[in-house]
Amino acid sequence: MSGSEAHGSHVVRVTPDDVRRLCEFLYRRTGMLFDDNKRYYIDRRLVERIVATRSDSFQAYFAILRSDADHEIEHLINTFTVNETYFNREEHQLRCMTSDLLGNVIRKKRAGEPIRIWSIPCSTGEEPYSIAVWLMENWSLVDTYNIEIVGSDIDTRALAAAAKGVYGERSLMRLSRDVVGRYFQPVAGGGHQIDPGLRESIQFTRANLIDPTDMARYRGFDIVFCRNVLIYFDDSSRRIAAENLYDCLGAGGYICLGHSETMSRISPLFRVCRFSDAIVYQRPEADHDGR
Amino acid sequence: MPFVKRDVPAPSTAGGQPEDGRASHEDNLAAHIAALGSPDTEARWNAARALGGRADAVPALAAALGVESAARVREAIMTALMRVGDEASVMALLPYLRSQDAAERGASIEALQALPEAIVPFMAPLLADGDSDVRLLATELARNMPAKSATRMLCRLLEHEQHPNVCAAAIDVLAEVGTRDAVPALQACAERFAATPFLPFAVSIAIARISDTDR
Amino acid sequence: MTDVERAAAPSRRRILVVDDSALVRLYYRDTLEKAGFEVEQAINGIEAMEKVLARPFDLVIVDVNMPRMDGFSFLRTLRRSAAEVATLPALVITTEAGEQDAEAARAAGANFYLIKPVSQLDLLRHAAVLSGAPA
Repeated sequence: MSGSEAHGSHVVRVTPDDVRRLCEFLYRRTGMLFDDNKRYYIDRRLVERIVATRSDSFQAYFAILRSDADHEIEHLINTFTVNETYFNREEHQLRCMTSDLLGNVIRKKRAGEPIRIWSIPCSTGEEPYSIAVWLMENWSLVDTYNIEIVGSDIDTRALAAAAKGVYGERSLMRLSRDVVGRYFQPVAGGGHQIDPGLRESIQFTRANLIDPTDMARYRGFDIVFCRNVLIYFDDSSRRIAAENLYDCLGAGGYICLGHSETMSRISPLFRVCRFSDAIVYQRPEADHDGR
Repeated sequence: MPFVKRDVPAPSTAGGQPEDGRASHEDNLAAHIAALGSPDTEARWNAARALGGRADAVPALAAALGVESAARVREAIMTALMRVGDEASVMALLPYLRSQDAAERGASIEALQALPEAIVPFMAPLLADGDSDVRLLATELARNMPAKSATRMLCRLLEHEQHPNVCAAAIDVLAEVGTRDAVPALQACAERFAATPFLPFAVSIAIARISDTDR
Repeated sequence: MTDVERAAAPSRRRILVVDDSALVRLYYRDTLEKAGFEVEQAINGIEAMEKVLARPFDLVIVDVNMPRMDGFSFLRTLRRSAAEVATLPALVITTEAGEQDAEAARAAGANFYLIKPVSQLDLLRHAAVLSGAPA
């Protein structure tokens, strides 16, 4: 089995061992595993990228990939992951939040102390609004606590869209009709706008994960959702971002990564926590002595 | 609504650098370096992070690394050194390849792996080091290097290497990075270690990976 | 294999192999799978923790030298974890012969250790015994 594609007059041949080499690299770098059953899936995407980068051989392409020239790793991963953002993406993490994480969080809260949740990157707002709606719909203690939800992104246009809170059908596809009816209003010209109360409730800010000045503004978070961004950073940026996020969390605070991401490829600073709905990571309660 | 919107504080100049500019860059350096020796873990952590990428802080960071007991501060110091990425910071990280502690060895490899250009002048001596553990770890540093130079370095190692685990480590890197030029050295290695577990298998996989490819 | 299938065929033991070398993992997987074990992999101690917490295993085979979380650190973390995971049998693979490493392995919570490169026979014998597979 091999793939090939005409590139100009040159046919690039991709062998099974090329694909194995690629898969081993991807697994080591990202934690994504493509075993023999899923190899065919990669073949086609690999050839796509070979053509897109105008590589005249697998070797040439692999050199580009290994050096991550022009963010090629991200481009490759984007050929086989769903990119779009929508409400209740990775619902299992939202469930974990209400089933397990918040229970632990509130145990340490003093009277009046708010619960702080951060979505970064928040893109056009689906994630922080999903968190808010989910809490209203699923957390019995939602009215007992003050809850601060912050949504941050490096892209100010995305933040502007988030503040407006208008979404299309596709973005709402995971929400029931009831929930849409409760929290959204149809707007002229199509689309649904999220409740003004919720729009007013969420603090949207511009922040860059690797900028220390930005990140110093955020402290004492109980739960951080940082999905589908760290794995694309280079070695240095990943470490800096992880150290920054550590600082932004309170002791014992939780961080949730994207579905295909793992701290094993990012940073040793966090503890692995397994709950029924998700694996999340935790800033330790205290430093251990020495080792 | 149970949701409270509290203004996130405006950006200040982070890390204790005053806005008025009276305190110079030099004073900040001195303050952070002093904090590297603080008895408070948090202060040392903040200092290490504030010094990230500062070449003038490398000696202090290197010294602090030698005595740091908290794992996360060690990690932050290594990040800080990695961000400088010059010869001095490589030299500050290299001694930890020899550590008795597996965690320290791993941490230094991780930091050094991110510096494939800065590490180049050190590769030949590392790959010829008298300590087989150092040679073994050094092969990993070739992984992020361009294919041709990595292949050349590792083949040279394979030609003379007697320690099977060092060969195994080199073969693993070659399976990813190697060019066709590596095949003869790999075959010779398999012959030399025909009676040793794992090595013939490793060589056969590596050769398959790097020969069955379009040129 | 699903948990239901596994319950129906209890002789299919599950082993997690942890090593940052792709070739070593491949070698262990090939050897163990041919002998009828179900094998999963991880490249460092953090991923190993994720995997052992996610699904039951009968044995973990773990290398010492891995980035981000080495084998000894993994073992110590494992032994401090919840009961159903903390008692997972562990075979440590070290590069050094001698008293020091044996002692360190024992102190970290290993059930046994082997020195690499490991022969297929040694691997299989130890895997069989430590995972509780029938002889």
